[in-house]
Amino acid sequence: MERFDEAVRELEALFRAGGVAVSSPDAFDAWALRCFAVQYDGCDPYRALCDARGVTPANVDRWEDVPAVPATAFKHLDLVVGAPEAAELVFRTSGTTAGPGGRGRHYVSRAGLYRAACVTAFRSHLLPDGVRPHLLSLVPSPGDAPHSSLSHMMGMVAEELCSASGWYVDGTGSLDVEGFVEAADRAEAPVVVAGTAFSFVHLLDALSARGGGVVLPSGSRVMETGGFKGRSREVSRDDLYGMVHTLLGVPPVRVVNEYGMTELLSQLYEPVLTMGEAGRGLHRPPPWLAVRALDPVSLDPVPEGSVGLLAFFDLANLGSISHLLTQDVGSVTPEGVRLTGRLPGAEPRGCSRAMDELLAASS
Amino acid sequence: MSGRKEPEPFRAWEVPPGARDRLAGHAAFDGVPGVLVPALDPASVREIVDRLAAARDALHSAPVREIARHLGRVGERFLDPGGDLRADALSWISPFSGLSPDMAAAVLDGMASGWTVAALSALLDAEFRDPSVLDRFLPSSAPRLSSLRAMGPRFCFQVVAGSVPGVGTTALIRSLLVKSPTLVKPGLGDVALPVLFLRALREEAPALADAAAVLYWTGGDRALEDAVLGAADLTVVYGGDETVKALRDRMPPSSRLVAYHHRVGFGIVGREGLGADEVGRVVTEVAGSVAFFDQRGCVSPHVVYVEDGGSTSPSRFAALVAGALDAVGRALPIGDMDEIEVSAVQQLRGTAEMLSAAGKGVELHTGRAASWTVVLDPGHDLNDACVGRVVLVRPVADAGEVPALVAPRGAYLQTAGVAGCGTRTAGLAEALARVGVTRVTDFGGVAFPPPWWLHDGEGPLRALLRWTESDV
Repeated sequence: MERFDEAVRELEALFRAGGVAVSSPDAFDAWALRCFAVQYDGCDPYRALCDARGVTPANVDRWEDVPAVPATAFKHLDLVVGAPEAAELVFRTSGTTAGPGGRGRHYVSRAGLYRAACVTAFRSHLLPDGVRPHLLSLVPSPGDAPHSSLSHMMGMVAEELCSASGWYVDGTGSLDVEGFVEAADRAEAPVVVAGTAFSFVHLLDALSARGGGVVLPSGSRVMETGGFKGRSREVSRDDLYGMVHTLLGVPPVRVVNEYGMTELLSQLYEPVLTMGEAGRGLHRPPPWLAVRALDPVSLDPVPEGSVGLLAFFDLANLGSISHLLTQDVGSVTPEGVRLTGRLPGAEPRGCSRAMDELLAASS
Repeated sequence: MSGRKEPEPFRAWEVPPGARDRLAGHAAFDGVPGVLVPALDPASVREIVDRLAAARDALHSAPVREIARHLGRVGERFLDPGGDLRADALSWISPFSGLSPDMAAAVLDGMASGWTVAALSALLDAEFRDPSVLDRFLPSSAPRLSSLRAMGPRFCFQVVAGSVPGVGTTALIRSLLVKSPTLVKPGLGDVALPVLFLRALREEAPALADAAAVLYWTGGDRALEDAVLGAADLTVVYGGDETVKALRDRMPPSSRLVAYHHRVGFGIVGREGLGADEVGRVVTEVAGSVAFFDQRGCVSPHVVYVEDGGSTSPSRFAALVAGALDAVGRALPIGDMDEIEVSAVQQLRGTAEMLSAAGKGVELHTGRAASWTVVLDPGHDLNDACVGRVVLVRPVADAGEVPALVAPRGAYLQTAGVAGCGTRTAGLAEALARVGVTRVTDFGGVAFPPPWWLHDGEGPLRALLRWTESDV
C-alpha cells in the first residue's frame, strides 16, 4: 500500500497541474505501468486474470498490452486495490432494473485523486475563461444521491470551482422548477447549469408549460450528459440545444456535452468553449486518459479514425482497474474521440438512466 | 464490352397491379446492395390500403379450403429444389438477413414446411372443429348459441420484426386464411420472402393476391405507420417492447392489437438425459436449437439448466455443447453480427474469463471470432441477453427448481426445451405453465414449431378473429 499511496500523491499533484507531465507517450506508459503494478499487486481477481494470460508487470512495457477488463466485470467482482470496505467512496451504476449480477459498483479507494481528476477536467472545459460561476444543478446533490458518481462530481465542482450552488432535482427525481426560475432570475453573473439530457428536457418542458423561459446572464454555460434511450420523450440533440437557447438563453456553442461512466473516474468533454462549433461531436480526454478503438470481433486496434469498440486506460482509476473495455463505439484521432452513440442495446451505465427513471416516475 | 446483364435489382415491395401507380417511385437502398425501396407518402399508402380493403368481397367469395390450397401450392414452390422461386429466395434471404447461405437454406426449409397444402390444411383443422365456419354460419356446439361465423378483420396491418426470415410470410398466410385484406410491413431482415411469396401468389390466384401488399420502409416512420394504423381494425406486431408500445399508443381505441413482443427461451436437461446413451443426442439438439436463426428467434434458448448428479456433469455438458456448436457451425456457419451484438458477447466473454481466473467456477468455451460461446455459469448471474449462439449452462440440483428460477421473467417466457426429465416431465410442464411458459417441447422441436402451434399462447388464426353469433 505504500507504493499505492505514493502513486496517489504524485498523480494527484500531476492532475492538479493539468496532466502535462503525462502528455508524451513514454511518460504515459511509465505511469500506466506503475498503475498496472499497483493493481496487479492489490486486486486479487485482476491478478488472477493477468496470471492466467501470462501478463505481469514484469513483461509489459506499453499500456496497450496491459490486460483490459470488460466494464460488466464491475458487476460481478470487487475490482479495487485493497479491501472494498476500506474504499473512501462507492459508486453504483445507474439502472433501477438490476440486470444480471445486479448493479455495477466502483470502489474509489482515494477520493482526493478522483477530485483532482474531475475538478481539473471540468475547469478546463467548462471554465476556460476563469469564471467562478453559480452552479444551478439538475443533478441531485451528493447528499441526496450518495452513490451517484455524477452527483459526487457536481458536489466537488460546486465546492472548488463555484461561487454558490443550488440543487433543483432531489433524490426522488422531483424537479423544483420554481426554485430554479427564482435562482435564474436572481443571477447577475454567469451561471453553469448541469444535468442529464433528460433532466434538461424535463426542465424545458416545465418552463414551456409555465409559459416561458428564463434569460441567464451572458457568459452562462450548460453541461449536459447522457442520452434518451428508452425514455418516454426522445429529443434530438439539435432540438434540445435549440430549446436550451430559447428557454434558458444559452446558445448551442456554450452547451458542453460530457461523456463519462461510473467505471471510469475521468471524463471527456466537447471542447466547444475553446474551439467553438469545430469542437462539436469531438470528445477530449484529459492527458491522463488514453483511448483507442478496437475491432469488435478480434479486439485488435483499428486504424486511426476508424470506428471500433472504445477501450480506455485511465490513470485516475489507479485504485481500481485502469484498462477498461467498454460497450461504446467511436473513432479515435489525436484530436479526441468521436462517439457514434451509446450502443442502443448496451445496458445503461451512464448516469442518465437512473435519474431519468426517477424523473419519469415522479412526473 | 461485356455482354453480361446487370443483375435484376430486388424491389422491396409487392402491390396489386392497379395500385402500382400509387407508388411515387423508388430509390436505391443503402442498407442492402441491389435493392430498391419504394418512395412512399402517407396519402399513397392510404390509397393502397383502401384498394386492398376493396378486394375483401373477392376473398369472401372463395371457400377457405380453396384459399389454403392456393397458398399451400405457392408455399411448396419454396421447397422445390430445382424451382426458380426457391432459387430467388435463396439468393435474397442472406443479403437481407445477414444469415449465412447455408443457414438461410435451412431456415427456408424449416419455415416453408409450414406453408404446404398439407400443413395449412392441418392448421385449419387444428384451429376449427369445422374450418368452413370461415365461409358461413355453422350450427354451434354450445347449448345456448344457435350458430356462429368466424370473421377475419376488415383490414389487417402486419408489422413484422425481421429477426427471423419467413415470419412475415407466415403472417401473410395467416391473414389471408382468415380472409383479411392485409398490408405486411416486414423488418429489414425478412423482406425477401413475403415479397416473393406474394408475387408467386399473384400468378397462382390473382384475386387472392389483390387483397395483399408488402411494403418495406425503414421502421419507425410514424406518418406512414399512422396512415395504416388508422385504417386497420387489427394490427399484429412482431417486435421489441418499444416497437409494440410505440404502435399501441397510436392506435385508434376501436382497433385491436395482437402483440408478439420480446420473448425468452430456455432449456432444462434432467439426469435421465445425461447418461452415456442419451447425452450425445441431447447435446446435438441443444446446439441446434441455439444455433438456428443465429439465436435471434423468440424460441431460441439462451440458458440451459442442467441437473447435477447425472452421469454427465453440468461442466462436462457445457464442454459437449461447445463441441456440438462448433460442429453445427461447420455445416451452418454463423452469419453477420452487428457491433452491438458482438460487443455484448465480448463483455460476457471477458467477464467469464475474469470470473474463471478468480476461481468462481465459471468455465468459458469459445469458437473462432464470435462464432459461438458457451459459459458454465454456476452463480446464475451472467448476462443471458446475448445473441449469436451464446448459451449459459446453469447447474441446478433438481429440474423442479427451474420454474421458480424463470418465474421473474413472467410475461416474457415462451418456449422451454426439456430433455431427460423422465416421469417428472408432466409435473414440470404444469409448473412451467403456471409461471407463464407457453410451450414445452423437446429440443429437437424448439426451432420450428408446427403451423398450428399456440403462438405465445394463442391459436394463430383464432387470435385474428372476431365471432358473429346468430340465433335467428
